[in-house]
Amino acid sequence: MKQMRQETVRRIISLVLLVVLTGFFIATTDTFLSWANITSMLREAAFVGIIAIGVTTCIITGGNNLSGGLTMGMCCMVFAHLYKYTGMSLIMLVLISLLAGLAAGAFNGFVVAILQVPDFVATLSTGMIFQGITYVLAIRNQYGSITSEMIKNQTVASWGGKLPNGIYYVTIAWIVMSLIMQFFLKKTKTGTYIYAMGANRKSAEYSGISYVKIKMIAFIIAGFCSFVGAMFILGRNGTCDVTTGAAYSLQAISAAVIGGAAFSGGRGDMIGTFIGVMFLQVLRNGVLKFNMTTAQQAVISGIIIVLMLVFDAYYNEFMQKRTTRAAAIAREKEGKGK
Amino acid sequence: MSEKNELLFEMKNIEKIFAHVHALDHVNFDVRKGEVHALLGENGAGKSTLIKILTGVYSKDGGQIFMNGEEIEINSREDASEAGIAVIFQELSLVPTLTVYQNILLGKEISKFGIVSDKAEKAQIQELIDRYGFPLKTTDVVETLSVAQKQMVEILKALATDSRLIIMDEPTASLSSRESELLYKIINQLRDRGVSIIYISHRLEEVFNLSDRITILRDGKNVGVIEKEDIVPSEVVKMMIGKELSESTASRELSTSDAETALEVRNLTHIGYYNDVSFEVKKGEVLVLTGLVGSGRTEVVRSIYGADPYDSGEILLNGQVYKPTVKRSVANGFGLIPEDRRTQGFSPLLSVTKNVSLTSYDKIAKGGFVNAKDEDDLGEKAVHLTDLRPANPNVQVGDLSGGNQQKAVLGKWLTRDLKVILIDEPTVGIDIGAKDEIYNIIEELASQGVAVLMVSSDIAEVLRVAHRIIVMREGRIIKEFNHGVATQEDILLTSSGFVSEEEAA
Repeated sequence: MKQMRQETVRRIISLVLLVVLTGFFIATTDTFLSWANITSMLREAAFVGIIAIGVTTCIITGGNNLSGGLTMGMCCMVFAHLYKYTGMSLIMLVLISLLAGLAAGAFNGFVVAILQVPDFVATLSTGMIFQGITYVLAIRNQYGSITSEMIKNQTVASWGGKLPNGIYYVTIAWIVMSLIMQFFLKKTKTGTYIYAMGANRKSAEYSGISYVKIKMIAFIIAGFCSFVGAMFILGRNGTCDVTTGAAYSLQAISAAVIGGAAFSGGRGDMIGTFIGVMFLQVLRNGVLKFNMTTAQQAVISGIIIVLMLVFDAYYNEFMQKRTTRAAAIAREKEGKGK
Repeated sequence: MSEKNELLFEMKNIEKIFAHVHALDHVNFDVRKGEVHALLGENGAGKSTLIKILTGVYSKDGGQIFMNGEEIEINSREDASEAGIAVIFQELSLVPTLTVYQNILLGKEISKFGIVSDKAEKAQIQELIDRYGFPLKTTDVVETLSVAQKQMVEILKALATDSRLIIMDEPTASLSSRESELLYKIINQLRDRGVSIIYISHRLEEVFNLSDRITILRDGKNVGVIEKEDIVPSEVVKMMIGKELSESTASRELSTSDAETALEVRNLTHIGYYNDVSFEVKKGEVLVLTGLVGSGRTEVVRSIYGADPYDSGEILLNGQVYKPTVKRSVANGFGLIPEDRRTQGFSPLLSVTKNVSLTSYDKIAKGGFVNAKDEDDLGEKAVHLTDLRPANPNVQVGDLSGGNQQKAVLGKWLTRDLKVILIDEPTVGIDIGAKDEIYNIIEELASQGVAVLMVSSDIAEVLRVAHRIIVMREGRIIKEFNHGVATQEDILLTSSGFVSEEEAA
């Protein structure tokens, strides 16, 4: 019998986890399945989800991106700062925020691929830079303390809106972007190269694929995702806080890992990450209904992530050993048959 | 026939010099169209250097390379594949999480506007698979395939780029006999289609069966090219070794042949690594396990030390059943000089003293605090015992030469009350002078009554230090030689598969 691939097993596990958890909350609370609760859950999930699209792509290349949420915060603040202190048109504000997101991605790519700093420490440090920029640009009152100021603009506010059926625009953006990215990863040359680079860098490079180019693409995609998330945050909150997005970086990584992306690279996709994001959201929502604290829910999701990582670390090794053994036993039999 | 003898590829007067040593000394080598040409030679004869020049990993220091009569320059892997040269690597170079067809076409996708046409790709690869009749599906994910199937994917990858010269480096090393048979068929098929193959293998029997010609390298020189009809196995082996060594240097008698048995291994088996291994080592004896890489020697030694598990059989220490764990082994007077000293033998940033004392903290540390005086004494002692140079125990081990690094590793154990020492390939990458010093240390240890179990592939070294020699092949003991009766030729023939188990017994 052929062994089940790590991806397949992980997909089954994450789906089962999501279904069981959802089923549990449906059975134990009355409000969980209400349309209002579902749409609001999908809205909250979408912010993490959009960041997780970029983060997953980085993880598939065999790297990581700890700066996703902080880049989002920076894009947000660039917009708010320029809105407050300049009279720029809305379109300019959006374009400059977009530029900030793409530049942050390119800078990550530069540090990782050209300066050869390992992804983890590189994006940890660049994340600090992006957060620092957010504080520098923060809106201050006449005494110099940071305040938040409402962006009173109809168009910006409309980004936080929803369809007549109650589904928020941000949810639609998340789903559409996930579908596009899934197509990109699975059906395009560049998508194939992203997997190849993550699973076996040498082999990819020998096939003429550029490491720098693939890393750049992945980080710039992540930067773009952070920008999109930032615009929807502005739409929802109508303001920008210095702490905006900071929590999303780790949540996005958690979602990717629960969904099957492996830090060793070459594994993971948007469907898995979607499941991962939904799992975290259902857990957060359901736990609130049980009057548990966010601290307690962090313990639960933390434990699940550790278990997933342990699984990733041992599954392939275990299967490898099993096949080696089976092959050796077959060889012995073959030898005696002669 | 005249067409068959047409040359495809030719290397003339190839030179490669590493640190004033001629790794390749004016080597001529050529391959005909549709020929299987084997490259033979002992480790270090220059085979891998030649292949690396041919594939653009190294650049040559002199000489010319011709393809189809035209002179070409190979300075990178791209140059090599442009010229139609492909390598099937020992350690496979596929992308494990992609499918068979994605791997074969990696970097050469069939696409429009960047979107890959899966259908066209699958059809093209299916056709390629059908043409050669490989048991593969285009959509199989590579990590689910057997080693033999992965090799087939690599071969297809080479064929898909119209490679005319395929290099196979020890392709059967991890294949079962049935899988090897299939590979031989594939090789014959490729030859019939006009593809040329450079074949490298330590298994002489298969080399002689498969190849149309063989070229023998020794000490960086081409010492002979032999047509298939003219192959005489024993002659070939003599050419590989060089000297006619009928008299071995292993004439060392064990001073006390009735010495007690220190270590005994009975029917030890670790499925997939080694099978039914039994031997004993007496106090003061040097027993060497030799054979090809992958014959299970290192694995046996690691199991005895407790670093790896075993499935069945038993280990006896001084006649008592012994269940090894690393901690227990250290406590019972075992020492291990591991195969790869750089990664397993020492901490490069620590001083000789620190490295040596690491294994002896049970003696010099009281309640978690290290006695600095004792530690320094230990370092001094190690330097003195191994004649380490520079004779300074405070030097970082990473800054020492290869030979002195190995002495530092030996020092870790020499300063302890040693009963059994397990030594794995102690002189790889060490210059000749330092080698001798290490042999002297080993002999000195044995004369003090320590039982020495050593693994080595260097036949000259085996004959130099061993009292007894055991040859392993594919996880089994094939033959045992006593002191003074083995020659280099015997050992090479036994380990490369010319003496079967029955003959040996």
